[in-house]
Amino acid sequence: MKTMVALAVTAAFVLAPALAQDKPAPPPAWKQGMPDKMKDSKLAPHAGKMTETPASDIPISKARLPKGFKAEVWASGLPGGRAMALSPDGKKVYVGTRAIGRVYEVSDEGGKRSVRVVVDKLTQPAGVAFHKDALYVFAIDKVLRFDGIADSSGAQPVDLTEKFNLPKEQHHNWKYVAFGPDGKLYVPFGAPCNICEPPKEYAQIRRYNADGSGMEVIARGVRNSVGFDWHPKTGQLWFTDHGRDWMGDNGPQDELNRLTKVGQNFGFPYCHANGIVDADFKKKDACKGVTRPVALMGPHAANMGVKFYTGKMFPAEYRNTMFVARKGSWNRTTPSGFDVVNVRIGEDGKATVRPFMTGFNESKDSYKFWGRPAYVQQMPDGALLVSDEQLGAIYRVSYGK
Amino acid sequence: MQARRRWAVLLTALFFGVAHGKHEQCLACHGPDGNSLTARIPSIAAQPRLFMENQLVLIREGLRPSPEMFPFVKDLTDAEIVALAKQISALPAKPTQSSPEDPALLKRGAELGRKLRCRSCHLPDYGGQNQIPRLAAQREDWLEPVMQEFRDKPRPGGDTLMAAVLYGVSDADIRALAHFLSRSSAPAPGR
Ligand code: HEC
Ligand code: HEC
Repeated sequence: MKTMVALAVTAAFVLAPALAQDKPAPPPAWKQGMPDKMKDSKLAPHAGKMTETPASDIPISKARLPKGFKAEVWASGLPGGRAMALSPDGKKVYVGTRAIGRVYEVSDEGGKRSVRVVVDKLTQPAGVAFHKDALYVFAIDKVLRFDGIADSSGAQPVDLTEKFNLPKEQHHNWKYVAFGPDGKLYVPFGAPCNICEPPKEYAQIRRYNADGSGMEVIARGVRNSVGFDWHPKTGQLWFTDHGRDWMGDNGPQDELNRLTKVGQNFGFPYCHANGIVDADFKKKDACKGVTRPVALMGPHAANMGVKFYTGKMFPAEYRNTMFVARKGSWNRTTPSGFDVVNVRIGEDGKATVRPFMTGFNESKDSYKFWGRPAYVQQMPDGALLVSDEQLGAIYRVSYGK
Repeated sequence: MQARRRWAVLLTALFFGVAHGKHEQCLACHGPDGNSLTARIPSIAAQPRLFMENQLVLIREGLRPSPEMFPFVKDLTDAEIVALAKQISALPAKPTQSSPEDPALLKRGAELGRKLRCRSCHLPDYGGQNQIPRLAAQREDWLEPVMQEFRDKPRPGGDTLMAAVLYGVSDADIRALAHFLSRSSAPAPGR
């Protein structure tokens, strides 16, 4: 809190009075948490690509999978495509984006896919989810519901924005959204900074009734979660969370968490990963009462989409294990992530993380990537779709002898 | 005077604007060699290719509002955008000064650029890379308002980290940054 106050005071002094009036303290700037020794660092977020990449330019043959699996380009021409939502009849896939502001619909027409833009000009409409026959679209500042969209290309949206009371900061507030087994809509609100004491509406996961009523904060101390799923047997919520930047190449690692009780605290900003105390925001007993992750997911690896596999196509050992897409690091001198991993939980509750789909980055020690896997989606036949946010494509991973 | 100049460039642009994917129509506004001669119109020569592709898509999609430029990009295909960005990124950058030099402001701007860690993304020569624009030798009267806009009302599709960089930075400091950046030497094209 001290730093926010200090910032607010400084802001009040330096800004013209007109600006300082009844404006809340701005979230801390980019250099917050960047130590002096890193002042000449050239690490910067990687560029996104906003133009179409034809399927013929996608080097899918470079993707590596365990024996018996194969990958093909299932759809292309969806720049920025990331989270996927499957229509109830299993025939259409809706895909959210960030900067380019579009939501795509991909239709499977007898072995060929066509892509159309359902809605555009939104501010980072990253969240897409189905509830019965209605598609929910979450932008940073807007919530739209398209009833019966899979059967009607002309479906007009119902604007639900007012019901959800979305806070206004943009950073880390692009969303992954999904309906849980309880029929509620789960929505994360990331910390609007790399590291800060966030204002009270942020760094949490909430759930709502489908109409936006009954809001409840179910997890706190969550820096930036953009992926979750529910265990097919226990019904518990599992979610990925990105570790903070500028604390060195080796951490704090990204987290795979499990919510066992509503209201649990996952540590941000004081306690990260497996009990690493923050370098900038100190507190006595920083890790006391903090729920530790089930698995550490790699430093700066950007673990995103997570899905439990319940299909019949893959070998039985994959049932009820998780696939997690790791989009890949930038705040690290050598790459980490750039793959899809398979996570299994043993009898003892311990997680093992193994590579599943790799080859997106062509060098161990430098950034030479062609694709960035972001989300996974199981299809009715048991195949796994993997979205590549870099090339605006969706790959289909299947198994067969 | 300024208004008349803008009308003139608009008309020239319309004249050239018949063929898509030709960068002549763009240079009517952005300067005959991509270095703008018009207040509040940015230079685009030697901008990184990807930065231009992204901004052209955002302007075409109506996410980044530019009423003047929109008619010229609204019907461009992705392939045409890629081709235009490639042509224009290869043009050499030239400084375009719009105010007398102020040594104190210059010094302040250089210090701020270091202190606020602008160089990790825009690179130490402020020449930009990939999705990150060149700032060196850009027009001062473009840099100043565009930074204020990032700080005060970040646009949809805009880079949220870039906005975060300027949280709480005063108008005076933004002026110093713009003054300094516009006078940094022009980097070689082709990024
Ligand atoms: C009628 C004048 C006009 C024409 C013609 C025009 N532009 Fe622009 N352009 C502008 C203005 C004004 C802006 C600043 C928009 C803003 O305020 O955000 C701009 C912004 C840009 C930017 C973003 C630059 C930056 O530094 O943020 C790019 C890239 C660009 N134009 C490229 C082009 C290309 C390529 C063409 C030709 C297809 C073109 N422009 C045609 C007026 C024009
Ligand atoms: C985290 C990376 C990052 C840092 C640090 C950063 N920038 Fe940027 N900057 C960007 C990106 C990316 C853009 C392109 C804007 C967009 O896509 O919305 C940009 C755009 C700009 C623009 C607009 C230029 C134009 O022609 O449109 C200005 C001016 C600018 N930055 C100045 C600065 C200054 C000054 C600093 C330091 C105080 C800084 N930037 C630090 C990433 C960064």
